[in-house]
Amino acid sequence: MHRFDYLEPATLSEAVALLAQHGARARVLAGGTDLLTALKEGWERPDWVLSIGRVADLRYIRYDSRDGLRIGALATVREVETSPLVRKHYPVLAEAAGTLASVQIRNLATLAGNVCRASPSGDTLPALLVLDAEARLVGPSGERRVPLARFFVGPGRTVMEPTELLAELVLPPPRPGTGAHYIKHSLRRAMDLAVVGVAALVALDGETCVDARIALGAVAPTPIRALAAEEQLVGRPITPDAAEAAADLAQAAARPITDVRGTAPYRRRMVHVLTRRCILRAAELAQSQGRLP
Amino acid sequence: MSAHLGPTPLRVVGQRVPKVDGVDKATGVAQYTVDVRRPRMLYARLLRSPHAHARIRHMDVSRAQALRGVRAILTYRDVPPVVHAGQPQPRAGSLARDQRILEDRVRFVGDGVAAVAADHPDILEEALALIQVDYEVLPAVFDPFEAMQPAAPSLHGTDRNLVIPPFIVRHGDVEQGFAEADYIFEGRYETSRPMPAYMEPDACVCEFDPSGRLTVWISTQAPFMVRGSLSEVLGIPMSKIRVICEHMGGGFGAKQDLYQYPYLCVLLAQRTGRPVKMEYTREETFVAGRSRHPVVIELRQGVTRDGRLTARQARFVANSGAYASHGPGITRVGTNALASLYKCPHVYIEGLCVYTNAPIAGAFRGYGAPQAYFALESQMDEIAAQLGLDPIELRMRNMFQPGDRGPAGTPFREVMLPACLQRGAELIGWAEKRQRPADPGPIKRGVGVACQLHSATSYPAVKEAAGAVVSINEDGTVQLLIGAADLGTGAKTVMAQIAAETLGVGLDAIRVVSGDTDVTPYDIGAYASRTTFIAGGAVQRAAEDAKRQLLDLAAQELHAEPADLHVTDGVVASRSDPGRRIAVKDLVASPGGRSARTIVGRGTFAPRNDYSFAAQFAEVAVDTETGQVEVLQMVAVHDVGRVINPTTAEGQVEGALHQGIGYALMEDLVVDGVSGKALNANFADYKMLTALDMPKIYVELLESVDDLGPFGAKGLAEDGVCPTAAAIANAIYHATGARVRQLPIAPDRLLELIP
Repeated sequence: MHRFDYLEPATLSEAVALLAQHGARARVLAGGTDLLTALKEGWERPDWVLSIGRVADLRYIRYDSRDGLRIGALATVREVETSPLVRKHYPVLAEAAGTLASVQIRNLATLAGNVCRASPSGDTLPALLVLDAEARLVGPSGERRVPLARFFVGPGRTVMEPTELLAELVLPPPRPGTGAHYIKHSLRRAMDLAVVGVAALVALDGETCVDARIALGAVAPTPIRALAAEEQLVGRPITPDAAEAAADLAQAAARPITDVRGTAPYRRRMVHVLTRRCILRAAELAQSQGRLP
Repeated sequence: MSAHLGPTPLRVVGQRVPKVDGVDKATGVAQYTVDVRRPRMLYARLLRSPHAHARIRHMDVSRAQALRGVRAILTYRDVPPVVHAGQPQPRAGSLARDQRILEDRVRFVGDGVAAVAADHPDILEEALALIQVDYEVLPAVFDPFEAMQPAAPSLHGTDRNLVIPPFIVRHGDVEQGFAEADYIFEGRYETSRPMPAYMEPDACVCEFDPSGRLTVWISTQAPFMVRGSLSEVLGIPMSKIRVICEHMGGGFGAKQDLYQYPYLCVLLAQRTGRPVKMEYTREETFVAGRSRHPVVIELRQGVTRDGRLTARQARFVANSGAYASHGPGITRVGTNALASLYKCPHVYIEGLCVYTNAPIAGAFRGYGAPQAYFALESQMDEIAAQLGLDPIELRMRNMFQPGDRGPAGTPFREVMLPACLQRGAELIGWAEKRQRPADPGPIKRGVGVACQLHSATSYPAVKEAAGAVVSINEDGTVQLLIGAADLGTGAKTVMAQIAAETLGVGLDAIRVVSGDTDVTPYDIGAYASRTTFIAGGAVQRAAEDAKRQLLDLAAQELHAEPADLHVTDGVVASRSDPGRRIAVKDLVASPGGRSARTIVGRGTFAPRNDYSFAAQFAEVAVDTETGQVEVLQMVAVHDVGRVINPTTAEGQVEGALHQGIGYALMEDLVVDGVSGKALNANFADYKMLTALDMPKIYVELLESVDDLGPFGAKGLAEDGVCPTAAAIANAIYHATGARVRQLPIAPDRLLELIP
């Protein structure tokens, strides 16, 4: 294993200053479930490992009805999965979080880390995309907010500068009458990567779909939104035919590769099946939500 | 002669006693090979070939040699040029000598080309990277059918790259049989390359003492084979080699082989004068371990209108990979299995085993039978469907009878398949579920069945024997010495139960000593579902021998006839006059001050084989839009003769079902057809079932009375894996109408087959 020095800042500003100093030669350590494997396997060879584990007040999940949900950089995937706030207001995020790896890994891994890892198959990413999540980044020249829809650049690559930290994820408050669902398609029920992941969010006004978002994982260099499919749904009731038509468009948006986990034609076909199922389930949830007192 | 035929009820045999080494394992006290640390120990690793087929023109180790901390480097120039067998089973009819410790030729991606020993494991990788190898890359071949073509590159200079001459099983006249058939069924079945994926990676520690005696701690199923092979290849007398393997974390067959690394580890220890440890990385266990053979089976059967088999013709083509390993043996067993299971008057089966530049296939739970039964049982299901017969009924119409010859060539004493089928059908609700109307949505359920029969020991290919020694301590407790290794299966516990039952003492009076060639009697190794059957038989005989000596002594002390005496709870007593009694400890070491008596019982057991039987039922739910298969439940009914310990026996079946379902649905080391590289040599991409993926499992063990093995026990370890893939494939057919002929049943391929 490549030798590195270990840094353990106590505050966010200290962390940012250290990162400004070491930049691309440093890697940020939060949960460590990705980084430690990469270090051991030699895929990453940083000279500095900067742990943010002791930075005060990064481990939180907060919600209010005006600003929505804020998830600190150290909140674990398991905390997100089990948070009553997330389960109540953003159940699709809890659902997606619960599909990641295993309970043991979810107890260590952070949601922010899953975002920064930027894997095309990252399990929480399609859900975060349909929820319009934004990343709050802090760096030497201050902070900025980047919607996740513009955050991912390629496999393992994001718009973040080497001197920036992801401090928190921010999700806008959910609008009433929405339902959302995530389907992870994998060979196993745990400890597996998605062959295809699909998240769909549907907002209904009566029978009419007034907003729709569809995000696809593991079928392009980054998780992607299927915008044409979304547009197809808006302004009409969600019927099986409408879902089918949107699934056609989602399938056309997918650009999967063939690898040891699945072939490109199979992945395309699964995008179709799973998008259709996901939309119909999201609509069901939206309807049942609308019926709540 | 067996005790259970007598009037005395069994006290220890048949009980769910916990493992005798359970506390040691649970508390971490048990020492595995990877735990062994010796003073001044060096660490070693192999440099492995990146090419599937190449000749080494030149090697330069000078830069690696100069690295601080590097103590020794071995290349093909530094090792004895002895050609030996990877599967060192002595006197096996199928032994193939085709490998060297190191050679100026590599035949698969992962073949070892050099070994480095250094002070610390951290510098090994850097040292290996500094070794310069100039390869002349040769054409490679990965498909066994291409490898048999005249123009194919030759791996070992054999005819058509065959490992052994074609192995033929022939009864009757298949042409006549097909002429008598009303229908002929044909299919080509293709199986995958699953890995044993044992928890404990391959490892050894080798150390010479100043007088030249070698101690080898190694994770092996066969300590005496290790000793024999090291002696033969390295020219060290057996009296100077001690092989120790007290505990191991699984082997599943693969750890019967001697890979390159133990030889190299011994040579590095010799050269440096220091203990040397070698431990595989997980990736190495995949690329340089041993897989189950990928096999292509072309199967053709003739059947009458009323469902009687008239002819069976098949070709079993096994991909051995770069070396023979167990290829000859599994070809023999797989071909015999294809010729068997159901009665068929006219049979012609050809077994071929072919070298390719793929990773080495070897022994892995089932040993050719899982592949054969996948093909045979899939086609039986197809025949039943075409004839409109219940799959169980078709099997009943073609059942063997006692006295018919089984796959090993020996006659069946009992045929328990009908009982297994009947009980399994009851447990899973077969009649009702076969009639159930099709599910309305995209998820379709179905049930399927497949059978197997399996022979414990490799008799008659190897006339095996096992040995045991029972020694009575001065306090009446017992040392039980067995040569058999315990892979983690609970063999020591079962051996202790057999000894305790036979001697009439409590289980806690028995200390089992195993896995040390300096101490225990000879045993050929723990494989072929043999240990309970054959080593257990040796233990029973050793205990009977010791007991006879005890009773003779007691007869003198008590002025009684030996035949009138019995031993219960450590006390010898007269049946006719229960007041005449003496404790075993007082017999062995008299309180009168005389020296303790030496009571040592010896036992060897060299039986012929015995057959065990199983019917396994699967219920599945298939997502017909994604091709995903969920196994809802498995019912496994096995006849294994007397069950010595129900907990460990059921555990064997449950573990085999785990591997069997994995074999059916996902376990497969994928080898790139151009480079020969393994594409998923890690636990992220090589999928095994997690606990969450396991279905409900019902195991029921039938105990037919058969007095050949100890207390009537037969083999069990491999059986559960053999019919599982076919049971699942047949359930998928029932659910969807898709007939799967290729493993694993990957969702994308299944989706193409669903009508």
